[in-house]
Amino acid sequence: MAIPIPMATGCRSSSRWSMVSLKSALPPLTSAASSIKLPCRHRTPPRIRSPQLVRSFSSLSLVNPLHSLGFSDMSSFGENFTIIDNGCRFYAMRHGRRVPKLNRPPDQRRALLRGLTTQLLKHGRIKTTRARASAVRKYIDKMITLAKDGSLHKRRQALGFIYEKQIVHALFAEVPDRYGDRNGGYTRIIRTLPRRGDNAPMAYIELV
Amino acid sequence: MARSVETLVVGGVIGDVLDMFTPASEFNVQYGSKQVTNGCNIKPSAAADKPHVQILCHSISSNLYTLVMVDPDAPSPSEPRLREWLHWIVVDIPEGHDATKGRELVAYVGPQPPTGIHRYILALFKQEGAMEGRIQATDVRANFSTRRFAERNRLGLPVAAVYFNSQKEPAVKKR
Repeated sequence: MAIPIPMATGCRSSSRWSMVSLKSALPPLTSAASSIKLPCRHRTPPRIRSPQLVRSFSSLSLVNPLHSLGFSDMSSFGENFTIIDNGCRFYAMRHGRRVPKLNRPPDQRRALLRGLTTQLLKHGRIKTTRARASAVRKYIDKMITLAKDGSLHKRRQALGFIYEKQIVHALFAEVPDRYGDRNGGYTRIIRTLPRRGDNAPMAYIELV
Repeated sequence: MARSVETLVVGGVIGDVLDMFTPASEFNVQYGSKQVTNGCNIKPSAAADKPHVQILCHSISSNLYTLVMVDPDAPSPSEPRLREWLHWIVVDIPEGHDATKGRELVAYVGPQPPTGIHRYILALFKQEGAMEGRIQATDVRANFSTRRFAERNRLGLPVAAVYFNSQKEPAVKKR
């Protein structure tokens, strides 16, 4: 911030803004301003100077109280958020977040999805809530893609996800015939009547 | 039954068992008091007896119909090795009447899904004439093919179809 050379009229703050005429009508800014008051031209060395105004911590107050009046013609966005901005991206809304949380903490969520994919691969068609059905599609596609690859590393990765060994071995055996030609979209979701106990919307999810 | 071909396509009935057709007739299937709609859930215990199948007639005609009930998900939907499992065939059903007026070629066997959720499809075909002796009853129910059956007996495309889901009931009642 440029510290201008004080005028003879006294120690006034910087003249950054353009409403000079309005400013001139007001008393000069006091120590709330973040500017150093330079000693006046007419200084008398032996005299004890009036206490220098140190650049005070002013981040919680407006740089220019006139901005609160709304008269300023500068963009007020950068002015009002002065100093505490550590660059975090933190929104109050859920915009753009695509991971379904399923009302569970992360470890339970992972266990639920592992269980659902295991059961779907075992039974071929299961009935569950719509949110869970649409969340489990991704993991089924992943497992079938691993099986399509077929190498040992992928088999071990599948074994680490699916709870039952037999299902993994059966999957790796039959996927090339069954889904060899199909690229993606290995499941189908059919919506159905809501559950009686809590009116939860239900769906059948099946392997295509 | 309304134009419900889309639900049959979504449910995989058209594709796995039947070919694409335009519904020309309507029929009601009822297990006790429960009306069968596409994709509804019916317990095996409720479906142990023959359903009440009524063909709705809009005009006076002497068409005869054939009803076929199959399960394409035998023994399990993830591995349907025995697709399709035949449950019931009734021929020579007069229009406007129910299935008891026809001749039962293959006796009715209720749904007994061992594992998973199975679809049970009831397909209705229009016959050209009365099938007296041209059709033979098969006693092998596994690996039935509705398409081959329709082709062999010159039934053409089905005129109506409905399907329902069923799964094994847990042996022990939930407390």
